[in-house]
Amino acid sequence: MENRVVITAASAISPIGHHKDEIIDSLINGKSGVKALRPDDLLSDYVESKVFGTVSTPIEFDFERKYRKTMGPVAYYACQVVKEVLEAAGLDPAFISSGRLGVAFGSTHGSPTVQRGIYEKFFSHSRSDFSTVGAVDYLKSMVHTTAVNITKMFRIKGRVISSSTACTTGSQSIGFGYEAVKYGLQDAMLCGGADEYDTTTVAVFDNLLACSTAFNDTPHRTPRPFDKQRDGLVVGEGAGCVLLESYDFARKRGAPILGEVIGFWCNNNGGDLILPNRDGITDTIRLGLKNAGLAPEEVDFVSAHATATKMGDIVEAQAIHNVYGDHPYVTGLKGYMGHTMGSCGAIETIMTLYMMEKGFMAPTLNLTDVDDRCAMIRHTQKLIERDIHIAAVQNFAFGGVNTCLFIKKFE
Amino acid sequence: MTRDEILTRILSVFEQEFEIKNPGLDENLTEAYEFDSIDALELLGEIEKMLGSELSREEKKESMEIRTINQICDYVERLARSRGL
Repeated sequence: MENRVVITAASAISPIGHHKDEIIDSLINGKSGVKALRPDDLLSDYVESKVFGTVSTPIEFDFERKYRKTMGPVAYYACQVVKEVLEAAGLDPAFISSGRLGVAFGSTHGSPTVQRGIYEKFFSHSRSDFSTVGAVDYLKSMVHTTAVNITKMFRIKGRVISSSTACTTGSQSIGFGYEAVKYGLQDAMLCGGADEYDTTTVAVFDNLLACSTAFNDTPHRTPRPFDKQRDGLVVGEGAGCVLLESYDFARKRGAPILGEVIGFWCNNNGGDLILPNRDGITDTIRLGLKNAGLAPEEVDFVSAHATATKMGDIVEAQAIHNVYGDHPYVTGLKGYMGHTMGSCGAIETIMTLYMMEKGFMAPTLNLTDVDDRCAMIRHTQKLIERDIHIAAVQNFAFGGVNTCLFIKKFE
Repeated sequence: MTRDEILTRILSVFEQEFEIKNPGLDENLTEAYEFDSIDALELLGEIEKMLGSELSREEKKESMEIRTINQICDYVERLARSRGL
């Protein structure tokens, strides 16, 4: 038996806002969350990209020490959005610990801030420093730190899925959570991703010449998805969480329904681990549509991965055109906040839900002059007041991983 | 190092590091305050600071059955005595 899977609560910490009203205001008014890179004592002087999608809203974390002790910054973000989702959902505490609620949550690589501290101690060649590296350092820095800090704080006993596939971490979490509920393995899943402020990620992409460097003095003007002047991605931070429930379970408990996940696909390019691949992305979209039981013309909005790299945007535009022609409106939400890495799939899904609820399509920020090679699709270049009935959320990652989620407005 | 001095230091560590105020001296710390294996390892680090010397692997293993503040004080008292403190 297959269950319908609905989204009943959502929360995001993003460079363009924390709570829903703030995020919607930024989307409607074209506010960027990209800021100057903060100086640090490690890499900021060396990287050429001096911009970062920065969470600026102060967040008061109110976690007891027994929870804080195993949390790096990334887990703070993760637990905060989950806390907000659980507060909004009003789930019975007995259900939360029943084993029927699971967690699908990940990050790119645990807490890089904590990892940096560990390596400083290892390379200090000091026995006393070495011996101070302990269990908590591992628990803060391991790749599944977000998922298990969530299970601990909220006493969740269901299955744990902790994808760590860079830029598809968040979208895989939602997709795998969707499958767990769809096939009756769990009644509900908390799904999402998080990543903290981290200059090592900037350095990696910078060395690959993938980062934006031409707008260091005007951070809000980059990244520029699909634009002629785009010059690369901007690394960002944030977290997003959605609660997925089976439709029957949600209806039985009278939960408000924000949207329905109707399909998901994930594949791999089966080759190069870095270069975007038009055929791989095209297949993901086509197979996702089939999984959702949709014809291409039924999709009216695409949240594109659109990191604003030279080649990535062209390849994605080609894949979208291959499947949809120029029918759906396409927005690259990273124009507002940069690439929030492991959280981008979750954050972009949540922003899409907000647009669905409020009946508008946000334009791709900084897209003023469409690159001719990306011009074959229907770009959202101004705010459009129109209902989104079915949206596709696309994300792709290093390693050749592609995902596509399909979200339906609940009517 | 007197028993009273040890108790004062341990209670201070519990308040400052573990946010546990005025625990009962014979309370099971795990049951009463969710004091866990991670906290125990951190406590050993604090005890090393108190004693001004590292604990051997054998000395650390001896701590694994400790459950209460009084047992912690007994343990630190033994370690201090063996170091001539």
